[in-house]
Amino acid sequence: MIALLQAAPLPPLTQPTIVAVAVVYFIIVASIGAWAARRTHTAGDFFVAGQGIGLFALAIAAMSATLSGFAFIGGPGLIYSIGLGAIFLVLPASITNSMGAWVLAKRMRLLGEVRGLYTLPDAIGARYRSRLAQGLSGTAILIAVIGYMATNILALGLVINAIFGTGLGWGIWLGMGITLAYSVSGGILAGIYTDVFQGSLMALASVLVFVFALDVGGGMANISQTLLAADLDFLGPWGKLTPLAAISFFFVFGIGSLGQPHVVHKFYMLRDPRRLKWYPLVMTAALIVSLLLYFGVGVAVKTLVANGSLAALGNADDATPTFLLHFTPVFLAALVFSGVAAAIMSTVNSFMNIGAAALTHDLPVALNRRVKNELRWGRISTVVISVAAALLAQVSGTLVAFLGIFGWGLFGSTLVPALAIGLNWEGATRQGAIASIATGLVLTLLFETLAYFGAYSFPTGLTVSGLALVSSILMFFGVSWLTRADAAGSIDPDVRLIMEV
Amino acid sequence: MTHRFALVLFVASAVLIAVAYASAFLPGGAPAWAAWLLAFGTATIMLAAIMLGALRSALTSPGRLAFPFAFTWIVVFGGFGLALALPPETIDGPLWLGLPRRAAIILFGVGLLPMLVLPVAYARTFDDMTLSEDDLLRVREKASALRAEATRAALARETLR
Repeated sequence: MIALLQAAPLPPLTQPTIVAVAVVYFIIVASIGAWAARRTHTAGDFFVAGQGIGLFALAIAAMSATLSGFAFIGGPGLIYSIGLGAIFLVLPASITNSMGAWVLAKRMRLLGEVRGLYTLPDAIGARYRSRLAQGLSGTAILIAVIGYMATNILALGLVINAIFGTGLGWGIWLGMGITLAYSVSGGILAGIYTDVFQGSLMALASVLVFVFALDVGGGMANISQTLLAADLDFLGPWGKLTPLAAISFFFVFGIGSLGQPHVVHKFYMLRDPRRLKWYPLVMTAALIVSLLLYFGVGVAVKTLVANGSLAALGNADDATPTFLLHFTPVFLAALVFSGVAAAIMSTVNSFMNIGAAALTHDLPVALNRRVKNELRWGRISTVVISVAAALLAQVSGTLVAFLGIFGWGLFGSTLVPALAIGLNWEGATRQGAIASIATGLVLTLLFETLAYFGAYSFPTGLTVSGLALVSSILMFFGVSWLTRADAAGSIDPDVRLIMEV
Repeated sequence: MTHRFALVLFVASAVLIAVAYASAFLPGGAPAWAAWLLAFGTATIMLAAIMLGALRSALTSPGRLAFPFAFTWIVVFGGFGLALALPPETIDGPLWLGLPRRAAIILFGVGLLPMLVLPVAYARTFDDMTLSEDDLLRVREKASALRAEATRAALARETLR
C-alpha cells in the first residue's frame, strides 16, 4: 500500500515571512492550550471535553483530525505520481460523513451520556458486556496509535526543519513538545479548539491555493488538454492504478472510515445530540473545501512539468512546496506551511488523547482494575506515548513509514464490525466481536510485516487493509451466526434502548 | 424488514468483495469481471451500512430516504460502471466541465453528487427518522429509571450481606 505520510525531507523554506507566520501560528496554538488547561478539571474534561462541544467545533475538529499533513503534502505528491488514482483515497468523503452520522453518531453520543463512556473500546465493552472485547480493541488502538503518531511526528519534524532549519532531530522534538504541551495541559478540549483554528486555516489555505493552481495551469480545460497530450493515463479514471486497486481504496477508505477513532470518539463530546442534524452538512463541506489543494496542486504541478515551465520533481512530495515557493505569494505559502503543521498537530493531538485513554482506561478495565486518578494518569500516559512515538520516529528509519501504512487498515478491520455493525444489529455476539477484532489484528500485522520484509506480497490490486477489513466483517457475521443462541440475552437494557432509537 | 434487508445486503456485498479480492490470486491476475464485482460490492456495502444505521428495525420501508439512498447507489455504481465501460481517453476527446469524460464522471459524479443529496436528506429526516425530542426524552427517562433500579438492586444485595 502507498505510504500515507511525508517521509522524505522537504526543500528549505527558511524565509522571514514563512518563519514569522509560523511563529505567530505556534503562539496562537499555545494560547489556546493555556486557555483550555484552566478549564480541564476531570478525566471527563480531559478525554471528552466534558461533553460540552458545539456542532461547528465538532465538525471542524473532526475534519482537521481526519486530514493530517497527507492532504497537503503526500496527497498532491501522490496525484503527481499516479494521477487520478490518488483521488480514490479521498473520494468517499462525499458519503462517509453522512454514513458515520447515521451509523454511529447518535448511538455513540447517547451511550456516552447514559453510561458515562469516553472511549471507543468502552462502547464495545458496553455493547457486548465483554472486558475481553474492550481490551482487545484497546490493544489494537494502542498499536495503531503509536505507529500513526510516529509517522505524523516525523512529518511534523520535517516541516519544522524546513521552516526553521532546526535539523530533523530537533524538529521532531520541538513539534512533539509543542503538541504535547497543549495536549497534556488542556487534554482534548485544547485539541478541539486548536483544531477549530487549524481547520479554518487549512480550509482557507486550500481554497486560495486551488484558485492559484487553476490560474497557473490556465484553467481546468487547459490543464486537461496539456496532461492528455503528455500522458493519456494520468487523467484516466483510475490514473496509473488498476481499476481493482482504485475501487479497493474506495472500499477501504469508505467503510474503514467507520472505525477511525479520532473521528468517531468526537461524537461523545457533542453538547446537544439534536445538533447532530447538521453534522454531515458542515463536516462534508469543510472536508471537500480542504481537499481542493490535494487535487489542484497535484494536477497543476504535473501540467507545469508537462509544458516545460518546471523541471520534473526528484521527489513527488516536493509538489506542494515547489508550487507554493514558485507560483504563489510568499504570505500564502507561509499560511499553507503553517496549515501543514496545523494539520499534523491536530491529528497527533487526537491520537495522543485516544492512546492515553486506551492505556489509562481500557486496558485496566480489561484486566478488571480501575486507575484511581484517571486525569493524572491520562496526562502521564500522554507523555509516555508521545515520547515513545517520537523516539520511534527518530530512530526507526524506514520502519516509520511501515508503521503509518497499517494504521488506517488496523483501525478499520478491528473496529468497523464490532462497533459500527454491532451497534446496529442485535444479532451480533461477543464471540463474533472478539473473533473479528482478532482477525483484523492478526491479518493486518502478519501481512503488512511480511510485505515490509519482502517475504510475501499480495498480487496487484489487492491491499492488506482491504483483505483484512472484508475478512473481519465476514468473520464477525459468521461467528455471530454460529453463536446466535447467545445473542438475545447479551445486551443490557439501556444499550438495547439506544440501539432501538 | 428493511433493517433485515440491509443486513442481508451488507453480508452479500462483503462476500462479493471477498470473491473479487480472491480472484486476484488466479493465474494471470484478476480478471476483468473482478473490478465490476468490486464496484458493485463496494457501492452496495456502503448503501447497506447507511440503511443499517438509518432505518429502525420496525420500519417496513425506507420512506423519504428511499430516493437519496437509491440515488447514491446509482451514482456510485453507475459512475464506476461507466468508467469501466466507456472507451479510453483520446487527446482530442470531449471535456466535461474541463475534465476528460470518465474523469469527470468519477470526480463530479461519485465524488460530489452524493454530497449534495445525503447530508441534506440526513438533516431533512433527522427530526422524525433519526432523533426527535421525544426519542431523546424517552432515552433519558428510561436510562434514569434503569439506573435507579440498578442502584436499588445493589443496595438490596448489600443489605442481604
